[in-house]
Amino acid sequence: MTELAISSQGLQKIYPQVRAVDGLDLNVPRGAVYGFLGRNGAGKTTTIKTLLGLVRPSAGAAQVLGLDIRKDHLAILERTGFVSETKLLFESLTARQLIRFNRGYFPKWSDALAERYAGLFEIPMDQPFRKLSLGNRTKVCHLLALSQGADLLLLDDPTSGLDPVMTDLLMEILIEDHVNEGRTVLFSSHHLSEVEKIAEWIGILEAGKLLLEARLEDIRQNFRLVIVSGDSLLMLAAPNLVFHKRAEKFSRFLVSYDAEEFAAKLRGEGATVLEISPVNLGEVFLGLAGKELPCMPGSAGTTRATA
Amino acid sequence: MLFHVNTSSGVPVYLQIEGQVKHAVAAGALKQGDVLLSVRKLAAELRVNPNTVARAYQNLESHGVIRAVPGGGTYVADCQPGLLKSEKVRRLRPLARQLAVEGAQLRLAPEEVVKLLEDEMNGLGGRR
Repeated sequence: MTELAISSQGLQKIYPQVRAVDGLDLNVPRGAVYGFLGRNGAGKTTTIKTLLGLVRPSAGAAQVLGLDIRKDHLAILERTGFVSETKLLFESLTARQLIRFNRGYFPKWSDALAERYAGLFEIPMDQPFRKLSLGNRTKVCHLLALSQGADLLLLDDPTSGLDPVMTDLLMEILIEDHVNEGRTVLFSSHHLSEVEKIAEWIGILEAGKLLLEARLEDIRQNFRLVIVSGDSLLMLAAPNLVFHKRAEKFSRFLVSYDAEEFAAKLRGEGATVLEISPVNLGEVFLGLAGKELPCMPGSAGTTRATA
Repeated sequence: MLFHVNTSSGVPVYLQIEGQVKHAVAAGALKQGDVLLSVRKLAAELRVNPNTVARAYQNLESHGVIRAVPGGGTYVADCQPGLLKSEKVRRLRPLARQLAVEGAQLRLAPEEVVKLLEDEMNGLGGRR
């Protein structure tokens, strides 16, 4: 048994027009809840499909539950619950028929769980899938993925179309029935407050590359935003620097550890340190993946909001 | 339901849980010997990672607020333990400093800040 539920080394998926996954080194510990973050088109969906063996990698390697994605993808699919971004299933089948169709593929399938989720999610079980709303389609996808007794759940945007009550219910189910049982959950999401509550690890993806992979607790405890003013700041090539942004005479540095020492160096260069403050996930994400608005004429002399 | 968490507050979730347990004990809402929800139950109830709750419980236990019986649940411990006075003061000092800074910022007189603190202490009621 390896310690990691998912690990990849230099994983690549190159399409003619785009390098969707571009040298990814992912490490998802067993039993962790891993929030997989990134802007639209960052490569999250392609990564998830590649890990499942649904898309062939162009280069690199990856192991899921200790299995090789190039050779063992059937075994991976058997042990992994997957909710796709598109939430597409056979259109003409009802939820009840989909359950009958799916259960045979999964040796650890639980009818009791399927029944429990059908009730909790209030799913219309006898309507053909094509007649269901996006929310109900999402719920059917969850019912199927969560009932199969999987060791790993890969959930691509799992809350799309769900109302706040159902989102909350899904979180409760994930914790109660899956995380508490030591299963691994990786989910992509744009809802940072959800991720911040439930995730233990986060990975931030941009243009197919992982910009940051860290324990959320480490971000809260050790990451600090250092805000300084000063005219001629050298860009520091410090190993603990995550990003640096500059707007007029102010600079913001995100450092991953030893913030006080870092600030002391800046003071040594003649800068005035205005603030050293903890950061939340949103600030880290926007700092790494966010765009800055172009400077508008007439705004000279004011401080631009940093994305 | 006694506890709640707010992820946008910037306060780490485990500290929020710690703070709420301490507050409930100080206010007498939780009494010595009361049973706390298990880590798994509270995690599911709050929709937070079980490790987060486990961490809060560990800290509360090391501060002597709660007591975990292996395999037998978690209870509110008997009174504040035999902490040295100097240790109690050390733990409280950062909060006192913050209060002083905020008070000065708002141009409140020291007596007004102290009065505020007294009101809050009185508001706790319960055992002290």
